[in-house]
Amino acid sequence: MIACLSIPGFELKAALRARPSLALRPAALSPEPVGEPLLGPVTAAAEALGVQPRMRLGEALATCPQLVLVEPDPAGAELAWEEIVRSLEDAGFAVEPAGLGIAFFETRGVERLYGGLEAALRRALAAAGTQWDARIGAAGRRFAALAAASVAKPGQLLVVRDEEVGRFLAPLPLTLLPLERQRYEELESLGVRRLGQLAGLPGGAVAERLGPDGRRAWGLARGGAAARVRGRRPPAELVESLEFPEAIGNELTLRRALGALVETALARPERRDRFVRKVALAARLVSTGSGGGGSWRRSLTLREPSADADRIRIALAPRLAELPAPVLELRIELVELTEPAGRQLELLAAGAEDRTRLSEGLRQVRASTGSGSVCNVVEVAPWSRIPETRALFVPRDD
Amino acid sequence: MVADSRDARTVRTAGRLNEPRPARVESNFDGTPWQVNHQPVAVLREEWRVLDRWWTEEPVVRRYFEVVLETGENTVVFHDGAGGRWFTQRGA
Repeated sequence: MIACLSIPGFELKAALRARPSLALRPAALSPEPVGEPLLGPVTAAAEALGVQPRMRLGEALATCPQLVLVEPDPAGAELAWEEIVRSLEDAGFAVEPAGLGIAFFETRGVERLYGGLEAALRRALAAAGTQWDARIGAAGRRFAALAAASVAKPGQLLVVRDEEVGRFLAPLPLTLLPLERQRYEELESLGVRRLGQLAGLPGGAVAERLGPDGRRAWGLARGGAAARVRGRRPPAELVESLEFPEAIGNELTLRRALGALVETALARPERRDRFVRKVALAARLVSTGSGGGGSWRRSLTLREPSADADRIRIALAPRLAELPAPVLELRIELVELTEPAGRQLELLAAGAEDRTRLSEGLRQVRASTGSGSVCNVVEVAPWSRIPETRALFVPRDD
Repeated sequence: MVADSRDARTVRTAGRLNEPRPARVESNFDGTPWQVNHQPVAVLREEWRVLDRWWTEEPVVRRYFEVVLETGENTVVFHDGAGGRWFTQRGA
């Protein structure tokens, strides 16, 4: 069986952890700073007052003037989701995350361990924790499992046997399908509102009218193709972060701080000569007055794995321009590292002896004076007229 | 308890270099220092003002003095216009 664990409105729930009192009030995740001003997930109280997810901000505020907008916390949400996925992995499931709040896993390998399908699914639900209102759907096909999870109630397990899939999917709305809005409208204008109605149409006719997307949706409405779940490789995750004494908004200052972070992260002994394949840059943002400061995160897969600080820094630096507010803490995450592999060594590495001596000396200083006693001085704003803002010292323990 | 071997997070708190340190300064009627940390001032070498961040809630208003003390030590002190206190500072 393929199981799908779903936590609807996960990003809102993650952002509300800092302000739990809002969970019972009409609240919604505020729109992204760029693009159309569309709301994110909304609380049940907001939904009861007519506010829907992906509603235009103006329309939502007109519908519900007391609506509270919650600033997104993407970095916090990623961390919380990573904790849930890890907790599922620790329970023995090979998890394939499909975005924040949705994960697939195969139950076959652990059913005997936990004494049956239901017991295994209960274990998965317990691993996700009770505070998230997770629910699980299970079926022979991935789409049917997702559909089951999306109609299950919080804390519920909904298992759809192969012979019931057609009957189960038939009354469900078309919005479960990954289609563009115009396609839904087109289908509704044709009187097709349920998965069963779409599944009952001839496949060729659907493809002719709606193109390849429509053909795919038609296939899903009939249960979807049999696709295996591929458990992810748990990320290596080396994280280095730097807290600033005050909020930094200057890009040049942030670039220098980024340079220091990249170097410190690459010097970590846990990296063990592995190259970086995927890296993420995250920041905790200054509070804007309307509540928590929120966070920001961008990840990047390098064109080819590298352990060259300059290359990683150059790849990440343009992302700093996308920061929406001054930064209190900057964090770099080496999300995926390569396997330890052979590397062409130089016969006589330039300056290698000096570097070895220097790091040996620093190790000795650290051993006698304690952790945090050896620091890098990072010039962050050498042009500043205020002397104490020109440079920072950053402890190094490599 | 066994630590999670996958978890390798390090938070480093950056500190400021050349943070101002409180100083005991006696000044003349015109605001120039004549004694710094119980040491008489021999020479007042330079004086300048820094006005910055006036657009924030924490503006910086400082009057700096570079002085040579009678012990021969060269030092920089400033009077903080916002708090009314004296500080010494390196790297100024």
